[in-house]
Amino acid sequence: MNKKLSKLKTSKYYGIGLLLGIALIVWLFFKILVPQNFGTSTLMKGYLQTSIQYAVGGCGLYFIVVMGLFDFSVGANVVLSALVGVYLSRSFGLLGLILGCIICGTLIGVFNGFLYTTFKIPSIIVTIGLMLILESIANYVLNNDPSPNPGKLPSNLLIFNRAPWNYVVAISAFLLMGFILHYTKIGTYSNAIGSNELVAKTMGINVTKYKLLGFVFLHLFVGIMALLTVSYGSGMLAVTGMASMDRNFKPLMGTFFGIAFKKYNVPVLAIIIGEFIITLIFNGLVSLNVPTTINSFATGAVLLIIVTLTNRGPKGAVVK
Amino acid sequence: MTKTILVSDKVNKFFGNTHAVNDVSISFNSGEIHGLIGENGSGKSTFSSMLCGIHPISSGKFLLEKKEINADSIVEANRLGISMIVQEMGTLPGLTVAENIFLGDEDQFTNFGIKNTGAMNRKAQSYLVEYGFEHINASRMVDLYSFEDRKLVEIVKATYFKPKIVVVDETTTALSQAGRESLYHHMNRIKAEGGTIIFISHDLSEVLEHTDRVSVLRDGEYIGTVNSDETTEDDLKNLMVGRELGEHYYRTDFGESYSSEVVLSVKDISVPGFVKNVSFDLHKGEILGIGGLSSCGMREVGKAIFGAAYDRTGTVTLTDGTTIDNVLSAIKNSIGYASKDRDNESIVLESSIRDNITLPSLDLLAKNGIQSAKKLNRFAKKNAELMKVRMSGISQYVSQLSGGNKQKVVLARWLGRGSNILVLDSPTRGIDVGVKADIYALMGELKEQGKSIIMISEEMQELLGMSDRIIIMKDGEINGEFLRSPELGEEDLIQKMI
Repeated sequence: MNKKLSKLKTSKYYGIGLLLGIALIVWLFFKILVPQNFGTSTLMKGYLQTSIQYAVGGCGLYFIVVMGLFDFSVGANVVLSALVGVYLSRSFGLLGLILGCIICGTLIGVFNGFLYTTFKIPSIIVTIGLMLILESIANYVLNNDPSPNPGKLPSNLLIFNRAPWNYVVAISAFLLMGFILHYTKIGTYSNAIGSNELVAKTMGINVTKYKLLGFVFLHLFVGIMALLTVSYGSGMLAVTGMASMDRNFKPLMGTFFGIAFKKYNVPVLAIIIGEFIITLIFNGLVSLNVPTTINSFATGAVLLIIVTLTNRGPKGAVVK
Repeated sequence: MTKTILVSDKVNKFFGNTHAVNDVSISFNSGEIHGLIGENGSGKSTFSSMLCGIHPISSGKFLLEKKEINADSIVEANRLGISMIVQEMGTLPGLTVAENIFLGDEDQFTNFGIKNTGAMNRKAQSYLVEYGFEHINASRMVDLYSFEDRKLVEIVKATYFKPKIVVVDETTTALSQAGRESLYHHMNRIKAEGGTIIFISHDLSEVLEHTDRVSVLRDGEYIGTVNSDETTEDDLKNLMVGRELGEHYYRTDFGESYSSEVVLSVKDISVPGFVKNVSFDLHKGEILGIGGLSSCGMREVGKAIFGAAYDRTGTVTLTDGTTIDNVLSAIKNSIGYASKDRDNESIVLESSIRDNITLPSLDLLAKNGIQSAKKLNRFAKKNAELMKVRMSGISQYVSQLSGGNKQKVVLARWLGRGSNILVLDSPTRGIDVGVKADIYALMGELKEQGKSIIMISEEMQELLGMSDRIIIMKDGEINGEFLRSPELGEEDLIQKMI
């Protein structure tokens, strides 16, 4: 009996159940406190639609975070790729929007990965530098836009801001992520490199190549996130002075869930449900009229509690 | 009719100044289990690591079926028909059992870049069932299994593709009797199929029982090969030791030369999985040696005394009754510690000599929390010079120093702090003879000054040459204790280790 229970406790169904259980508890908590303003079926659809765009970015971040790397240029890439998509959409319509966002995003990933792997500079340093460069380019492009509505997406192209097309895009991205993780060597090798880079090298894995690929896939997903983000906001504004960093953290929260639930072998679902939980908490606090600063504090604290409780390391273990 | 399948021809390996494998030439036959034995540091694992593509060969060559081979990774070695079950953990957490088994060899399940995970899991599961390990599920994360089960996964990983040569490197210590029987069964199967097993173990009775021939290495050199059924454990021990003490840098005094005053008392300390109820006293001016095989738990005893074994039970107390429960209390109460894993646990590599030496003494050097750069420099310079660290200056990065000079920096740190009790784990590991002599001389001086030293070492010469008293550990427990004596020999220590 005990053996069966311990087997169940390590199965992916347990992991998914745990995530759904946390989501239910969070929903119940706020539903009891603010029954009118929180958690109705209409609002729940809204929360889901909000969370999926971050979950797409979270999927991308998983590729490099699992290898022990980080990328600060995600937000800046979202801004620049969205703007490129907007400009191309003026000439090529929907195709220009889609390809503009995704190709620009991916190319930035290639560039990031190339710089990181070629010059052997820590990923945090490389990507902070790139964030500043990308922000400046986006700002320059926007300031020189001759259009009367710079950065605005034409209204006839606003189709990815609502169902079913936003779900189509997000679900396609999730399926792609699941496919890469489970049906290509990239997922296995990313985990192996994150687990022990030296052993991975000894096993004949081309670590440099897979780190570069990690950056490429991260920014491919960032490109898809940019497509959803620009559609939800019906345009994009450029920012400077590292303000784009704000856009890094929401997808990252989902990635944390993915890493924490890696042992259940359900990283994609963990990212999606994790982002949904974070969105529930955020909106629940808004429903309670909690000021933004306290909202951020509470959201961060709950994230820490959940990840700590689900991912406790052995006593004395070195945690980086 | 025996047929030579593998030949090592004057194989050498250097790690900096250390000549780890010295002109080793051995022939291995097909269809045999060939034992490879020697003391710790004799070069067994380094030799097999070169064969398996983990370390590059410095010079010499391996010939497999008369063809020169030079694997540059484990996967390349596997392709050549050589595999290895390693001493430490050989599976990667974060991957499934099947992913671990086929890591680096997924192409057999990949078409146009798409991996057939289902087929890979099924194949892995079929191997697990074939090997009798059906309780392991190929599609589950390997992290969910015990250390022993992961070793079983490694057995499958190393042998499923029917390699010509399989190196089993001190694997049995991690296995229960059932796991061992399973390993022996598969070793015999591979032998029957014409394969060769290179079996590395410290358990000499196990070696004699399961091998056809045994080769002995000592200090990186090949000593000889004997037939297992014509030799005894004592013969093997003699071949392993086969030398006399006589290195001039060891102590030459004998008899009791330390005070009866107990400075540190260790009572019933246990560390789950490593140490069981170990108790002893350390006296003022004593050099207490602790020895044993690598996995005997001696390393964890050192960490436990320094408060760095987090699951420790039992007590470590000083003369005045102060208990040592964590690293901070150890440092505060004048205990210093040098780890065997120098680069990862003792020094901050990408930091200056000054920072490394002053690190634990900053509280003593600061005035009202304010540090004086002048004072820090003076402190670091004085102690580095005292230890004769060969450096361009105290601002030089420790990563640029040799192993011996790094160890001097570690010692300078604790001497500067004024530590009265030093726990030194493998103090001369990977250090050339000159620096070794310096460190032994320093230990002698510290002893004269009334400081006490616990020296954990795998080197029997070092234990015999420097210790006032030697504790030998086996399977996490104290298995023997010896007082310094000219009659005491390596054979006496080995008897208690094995």
